[in-house]
Amino acid sequence: MATEPRIELSGVTKRFATPTGTSFTALRDVNLTVEPGQFCAVVGPTGCGKSTTLTLVAGLERASAGSVRIGDQPVTGIASGTSFMFQTDALLPWKTVIANVAMGPLFHGVPKRTALADAREWLRVVGLAGFENHHPHQLSGGMRKRVSLATALINEPTILLMDEPFGALDVQTKAIMSNELLGLWDQSKPSVIFVTHDLEEAIALADKVVVMTAGPGTVKAVYDIDLPRPRGAVQEIRFDKRFLELYQQVWESLRDEVTRAYARTAQTPEGAHS
Amino acid sequence: MTAATVAAPESIDLGAELKQRARRRRLLVWAARLATIVIVIGGWQWFTTLKIVDPFFFGQPSGIALKLKDWYQHGTQFGTIWSQVWVTMKEAILGFFVGVAAGVVVGVLLGSVRFLSDVLSPYIKAVNALPRIVLGSIFLVSLGLGIASKVLLAAVLVFFAVFFNAYQGVREVDRGLIANVRILGASRLQVIRNVVLPSAATWIIASLHVAFGFAIIGAIVGEFLGAQQGLGLVIVSAQNNFDPDGVFAAMLIIAVIALTAEWLIGLLERRLLSWRPPTHTEVAGI
Repeated sequence: MATEPRIELSGVTKRFATPTGTSFTALRDVNLTVEPGQFCAVVGPTGCGKSTTLTLVAGLERASAGSVRIGDQPVTGIASGTSFMFQTDALLPWKTVIANVAMGPLFHGVPKRTALADAREWLRVVGLAGFENHHPHQLSGGMRKRVSLATALINEPTILLMDEPFGALDVQTKAIMSNELLGLWDQSKPSVIFVTHDLEEAIALADKVVVMTAGPGTVKAVYDIDLPRPRGAVQEIRFDKRFLELYQQVWESLRDEVTRAYARTAQTPEGAHS
Repeated sequence: MTAATVAAPESIDLGAELKQRARRRRLLVWAARLATIVIVIGGWQWFTTLKIVDPFFFGQPSGIALKLKDWYQHGTQFGTIWSQVWVTMKEAILGFFVGVAAGVVVGVLLGSVRFLSDVLSPYIKAVNALPRIVLGSIFLVSLGLGIASKVLLAAVLVFFAVFFNAYQGVREVDRGLIANVRILGASRLQVIRNVVLPSAATWIIASLHVAFGFAIIGAIVGEFLGAQQGLGLVIVSAQNNFDPDGVFAAMLIIAVIALTAEWLIGLLERRLLSWRPPTHTEVAGI
């Protein structure tokens, strides 16, 4: 494992070329630091460039200006030690569950037998023992998320990037998955950037909540979440007094942005861009 | 619990009745199928016997059956019927494999290398617009009357059918899946093997059904243009002898070959795409 992978974005701007030849600014002058082992949640209205931030850290895209650094190294491409959990499941539908999970180690040259044994162990950890030879379409949405989680964690990432990973789940399943994520995170403590539009989820999980402005996105405010860890069930922490205070504070800041973003999308329907 | 015990016999009755209804429907479908073939073949036979339709031009089912029997017992003028079938099948199958291999390789290459596809796409469109069957004449002149010219013609026809699907299949690959495996550490080749090829396989296999038909057309037309053996040659000679029964009989044999190939490709499809969730059309089954 790499040592002390602090994530540092300074003055980051990202522009995309639109099909009509103009340029679209997704992020403007973003400054953000995530300390090693910190769980950072990013909230913001639709289209504020939350996902773009993640693709920059992952090395899938390059910043148009500014610098993205992991540890002391600028991000120039996909770095090993980084795992990404997408909003939609990115499992390969033609591979069995165990083959999906074993992909990471296999790509890194681990012998097949070891990779499969590791994958089997990770499936047990996420509670899917016995489903090794199923195909993804035979599983429920929540189970597929567990597979994605195992796929992301088997590479022992020092940085875990999550793009609304539980957005498509029902409320109960989401709560269960959030609890399990916290449990697993606590064991290996990777740095996490967790993008969500669900403020409750953000506060319940994170050490730090970053509020982004309506697009072009930039960091509006950062809140330290001083709720004690281990947090216990996320369903219950919501009734905690401190939780409610924090919620109110962050929501004050987020509300204006959501209203602004909504007004904009209501004017131009094609303006929505996540 | 009591509710369940009460409901159980009822549901069994329902199941039995549904099963019976399904069986009755299946029987009806088969009866209608049988009636259709009897009416068509019987009508053909009947009209030609009554000379309402001239059997000299349109053949006669009984004549076709006699022709097949004759070929089976005495062979054709070019050798046994089996050797004719074998030659045509050999040409079609070889052409099929060469065309499929070339189509997949070039399709995946152009699908994954944007620069190549930008450079070559106008030419490919132009070549696709040409009536490629005419190339048969060139191949015949350059490669002679043997099977090579037919194999090549079949391969050219198959190539384009497979190429376009492979190319499209590669372009349609979910970007998210590629991003995911790249982050998991896949090299470029591993991305192609683990994501691009399996994803494009659905498209490629769909094209194989049409492609085998093209392979047979290539082989037969190649034999029309000039050959020493093969079903195409048998058809040409039947035509020259004003023997429509012979043409139809050869057609029937080709149809059997094509149906067998179609069945084999169907097996391959089910095997390779077994990971797919069953779709409604497959459940309904046609």
